[in-house]
Amino acid sequence: MTSAAKRYEHLLSTPSDRQIRVERIFNAPRERVWQALTNPQLVAQWWGRGNQLVIERMEVERGGHWRFVEHAPEGAQGFEGRYREVKPPERVVQTFEWDGMPGHVIVETVTLEDLGDGRTRLVNVSLFHTTEERDGMLSSGMEQGMAESYAALDRLLLR
Amino acid sequence: MVQHQPALDRSFTALADPTRRAILLRLGRSEASLGELSSGFEMTLTGLKKHVQILEEAGLVATKKVGRVRHCKLGPRRLEDVTKWMTSYRNLLEERYDHLEAFLQHTKGTP
Repeated sequence: MTSAAKRYEHLLSTPSDRQIRVERIFNAPRERVWQALTNPQLVAQWWGRGNQLVIERMEVERGGHWRFVEHAPEGAQGFEGRYREVKPPERVVQTFEWDGMPGHVIVETVTLEDLGDGRTRLVNVSLFHTTEERDGMLSSGMEQGMAESYAALDRLLLR
Repeated sequence: MVQHQPALDRSFTALADPTRRAILLRLGRSEASLGELSSGFEMTLTGLKKHVQILEEAGLVATKKVGRVRHCKLGPRRLEDVTKWMTSYRNLLEERYDHLEAFLQHTKGTP
């Protein structure tokens, strides 16, 4: 395989090509981790990465909005999104947009697993989209188009 | 990062389709004419042209017409730009979880 082909190889491993997975094990029970993620008073203490954090909105329920602004010495950064699914104490699905990257939306799925020994495994799977895609995703005919594209890809890979 | 935005948008759209990703993979192996690509993908020339055009607009593919044949090769834009935003985001996420970890440690023993 040429180096150019290698550069594109990872693109074929759908859906991981547009997905980031981060896994952490915290030395804390699941309920505490859940609280730290969903209680605004607790979120304010760590989410800003040491910067002052202003929680303008945080409606932890299906369809609810969130908007956080980080105040760093070099300026303010706003982040926002909506909750799509909230299932205490194990799962949150929410969208994430950064003011500095308009037009791009990430769908984050965070799951908490009770490891049974006082520790909790957090898995964050973030899927990257353009807002255009997000809005067009429900438009008709897409599924058919996707199936055809995958069939073409299958044929290519079988060659 | 921000100045790359329109190009990033186009790249994302271009890469959203598995056929277009497969075209990039194919062109990574060697240059090819539109006709060669279309028979390789068992797709009509018109359908294939559309995909190539989207890739070309994103700068991921470059084409050149020689006589009656249009040759395609990988374009000047590399995927590094597309992945830049993903990398920044990942770093941000890792940093936040570092702080969450410290917070949980720090508040240990509290309800």
